[in-house]
This record gives sequence, structure tokens and C-alpha cells, in this order.
Amino acid sequence: MSAITVEGVRPKKKTSPRKRAQRIRFVQYGVLALVVLLAVLFVDGRQVSSAFFRLDLIEKTLTQGLPLAFLNTLAMTGGAFVVGLVLGTVLALMRLSQVAPYRWLSMIYIEFFRGLPALIVLMGFSLVSLAFPGLRIPLDPYGTVWLGLGLVSSAYIAETIRAGIQAVPKGQVEAARSLGMPSGMATRRIVLPQAFRIVTPPLTNELVALTKDSSLVYVIGLTATSFDLTKYGRAMSNTYSNMTPLVIAGATYLLITLPLTFLVRRMEARGARAK
Amino acid sequence: MKRLLALTAAASALALTLTGCANYSSSTTAASSVAGSSAPAPTLVAAGKLTVCTNLSYKPFEYKDDSGKVVGFDVDLMDLAAKKLGVTQDIVDIEFQQITSGAAFAAKKCDAGAAAITINADRQKATAFSDPYFSATQALLVPASSGVTDLSALKGKVVGVQTDTTGQTYAQNNSTQYGYTVKVFDDFPSSANAVLAGTIDAAINDNGVVYNFSKDNPKTVVGTEFKTNESYGFSMATDNTALQSVVNGVLASAKSDGTYNTIYKKWFGVDAPK
Repeated sequence: MSAITVEGVRPKKKTSPRKRAQRIRFVQYGVLALVVLLAVLFVDGRQVSSAFFRLDLIEKTLTQGLPLAFLNTLAMTGGAFVVGLVLGTVLALMRLSQVAPYRWLSMIYIEFFRGLPALIVLMGFSLVSLAFPGLRIPLDPYGTVWLGLGLVSSAYIAETIRAGIQAVPKGQVEAARSLGMPSGMATRRIVLPQAFRIVTPPLTNELVALTKDSSLVYVIGLTATSFDLTKYGRAMSNTYSNMTPLVIAGATYLLITLPLTFLVRRMEARGARAK
Repeated sequence: MKRLLALTAAASALALTLTGCANYSSSTTAASSVAGSSAPAPTLVAAGKLTVCTNLSYKPFEYKDDSGKVVGFDVDLMDLAAKKLGVTQDIVDIEFQQITSGAAFAAKKCDAGAAAITINADRQKATAFSDPYFSATQALLVPASSGVTDLSALKGKVVGVQTDTTGQTYAQNNSTQYGYTVKVFDDFPSSANAVLAGTIDAAINDNGVVYNFSKDNPKTVVGTEFKTNESYGFSMATDNTALQSVVNGVLASAKSDGTYNTIYKKWFGVDAPK
């Protein structure tokens, strides 16, 4: 068959894929340059520095109690993570149990706490004495935070660990059982250690999320010595009617979260290599 | 390539935010030039609407009624200002601190703040205020069974306050003298319910809301009141003198023609103090 050419319509000139890629790249650089230019043109530099980076307030924020607030955030996050990890493991095992009611209970729990905002759970725990007069959660406010945030994160952690357990090759259990290990021992000695290795990166991500969620504790009511980073920054921002302390508090979270996310990336890279 | 694309997207998002801020600041200057002219007509953040920032829930100043509408003493007074401007009032619920720090106005989230804001020196540095429209005192909420009638009975106890309020300042200024610990809550209901739950021993807040809570919850009573000579004012951006004079004019005429007293009686059940 010969090609039919309609008069007046020239066949489209073909650009080489390389040319096209180059052109797209130019457009992208152009957009970037334009955006940066607009930002530089319109930003009110003096207002930015006086509203967000006032030097005297940076110093005050750093010296007046940031270390304590930092420790409080670490303590609240750490405790909640331990609660979440222990409870999450139990829930994951229940979720995979042979006993059906365990599976149901675990599923109901997970769906309930995954579906609720952490803020509301925290408020609920702070007012638990309304329902049970005389009941006090010990180590106020840390106990309340550990329970509230721990319960919420355990729901997420349970799902992560369940996926990890299911990712352990079936042959491992079979081999362990054929060596005469009872099933409980096989779970503890063979399955769980391997599962935890698999889920370490996602669990670290959960820890990062929990670190940020710890900023919600302001809803339960805090004394000055138990202020977390966000509350500390907010209170100070209000005292001086300036946003600088909040910016510093926010930056301090990065001190916790950036090393963690870096660690996750390292672990994932190593995991990918191992495959 | 993919990474570059992500980078570009991130950078453009950042820059868009920045330019967004920049646009706001330029319209601020526009507003101030209008305010400087002889016929002041306040520039509103949203055309045809007086956008008012408040912090819910603070009964009876601003709260949601049974139908979900925001009502209250502040709302009625700001309605008068909106009427004067020939627009309708639009209410935005926002963090209290954003109103008192002026951030809400700088970000053009609203024209005015009406949130039972006590006028004080710090806040006057950050925002402009209307003339006072309400006199408040601080009140101490305690469990009815405790029999506490003054702060000296609270040695070694925990007193709840609402964050960023004058009640918090009052409680903190007196905490060393009376030996109690201050616990900061995010809103009034949290601190009041903590008293009810028995997790704290007392709460300090403005008399209006405290009396309202103790009326609804007979297990709590108002132990005492502290005269702190506080006045509430409506706030706006420091350079928004046009709106400030409109609100002041409305307040003055409402006080002289009896509208203010009608509104006062509607929300507090008594005549406005002379």
C-alpha cells in the first residue's frame, strides 16, 4: 500500500525523544526559576525575619525551657511507643489466632482506634474520672498520654506487625515444627524475630508519626513542668505575641524525626540490597 | 528526572505559599491608605461580609445554639457593626492566640476579633481595640463539696486555667504566694470538666462562663470572684483605624439608644451596669 497524502496537510515533523525530553526539562527549570523569582520579588523579608526569626526570642526560647520540653516530648512519645508496641504485638497475634473470637476482638479494636482521631482519644482519657469517680491514671500527665497515644498507635502497629508475620515464609514455621519446637516457641523464636526485622522500617515511620502526634497532648491539660515542645512554643509565642518560639519548637521536632527517617532510608536501602 | 520534578513541585508549592503571603501584605497597605483618607470605609477581607474571628465555645459570649448557629453577646454586638457597614457578619472559629497576637488579621483571615477578649497592654501592642464593651471579673470554680472560698485554701492543690487568657495570667501571678500548681487547658470546658471529674481542685476563668457552668453542673460552685478590673474589647489589625472607628461609633450609639442594654439583658438576664 502506498501512503495517501492529503494535499495541504503536511505530515507532522517528528521530534526525537531526546529533544522532547530536553524541552520538557527546560520548561521545568523555567517554572522553577519563575517561582523562585516571584517569591523573591514578593516576599517581605523584614517581616519574615521579625515575625518568625527574632533573634532575642530565639535565644529566650532556647534557654528558658526548651530542653525540658524536648525531654517531655521524648518521654511522652517513647512511653506511648512502648505501650503501642507491646499491645500491637499482642493484637497482631490475636488477629492471626486460631480462636475466632480473638480475631474478632482484635479486628474490632483495630478498626475502632484507627478510625478515631488521637485528639479525641486523649480527651477521653483525660476525663475518664468523670465516668469512674475516684479513678486516677497514675503519673499524670504522662500516664494519660502513654495510654491514650499508645492505644491509638497500637492499632496501626498491630496491622504492621501482622503484615510482617505473614511475610515470614511458611517454610520457617514448618521447619521449626519439624525440629520438634512447640508452636508457641516457634512463634517466639523463629517467626517474631524475623517479622520484626521486616517491619523495623515501617515501625520507625510509626515512631515518627507518634512523635508528631505527641503535640496533641495540650488538650489534656498540662502543668508548666510537663509542657511538650508544641505547648511550650505556643505558650511562649503567646507571651511575646510573636511566632518565633513556635518556629524554634517546630525545628526541634526535626532533631528527632530527621535522624529517624534517615535511619529508615538506610534500613530500606540495605533491605533492597539484601534482596 | 523524577526527582527533579518532585523538587520543582515542592519549590513551586513553597513559593506559592510565600507569594500568597506577599499578596496579603500588599493588600494590607491598600487598606491602610483607605483608612488614612478622609472618608474611612474599611476594606473587608471578603467583599460584602464582615468576617469576624472568634474562639468557640464561650457561653454566653459566643457559642453554638441548638440549631448549630453561632450566637451570643459578642455576635449580637458585631451584627450591629455589620449592619452599619451594610454587610452581613461571617463568623470564623479560630485559635484564641491567633486573634490576640494579631496573626489572624495579618493573614487576612478576618476583619475583627470578637471573642470576649480582655484588653491588656500586651495585646494592645499586637492589635487595635475598640472601646470597652463589657466589664469582667475572674471567678474560681470549685467542687461544691470542697467548701473552698479563697485561694489560700488551695495550697498544694492544682488549679486549672484556659491557655492564653487573663485568668491564666492571674492564676500564675498568684501561684507562688498561695502555693498551688497551675495546669493549662486548651479551652474552658476541659478545665471545668476536670474540676467536675476531680482531677484538678479548682479552675479560674471569667465570671460569665464560670457562673454558666456551675448553673448547669450543681456539683460545682463559684468559690469566689477576684476583682481584676478587666474590660472586653473587639480587636482588629493595628492599622485598621477605619473599622475601629466604625465599631466605636456603633457601640456608642447602641449604649445611648438602649440597644446595648437590650442585648445585655438578653444574654445575662440583668440590666447592663451603668
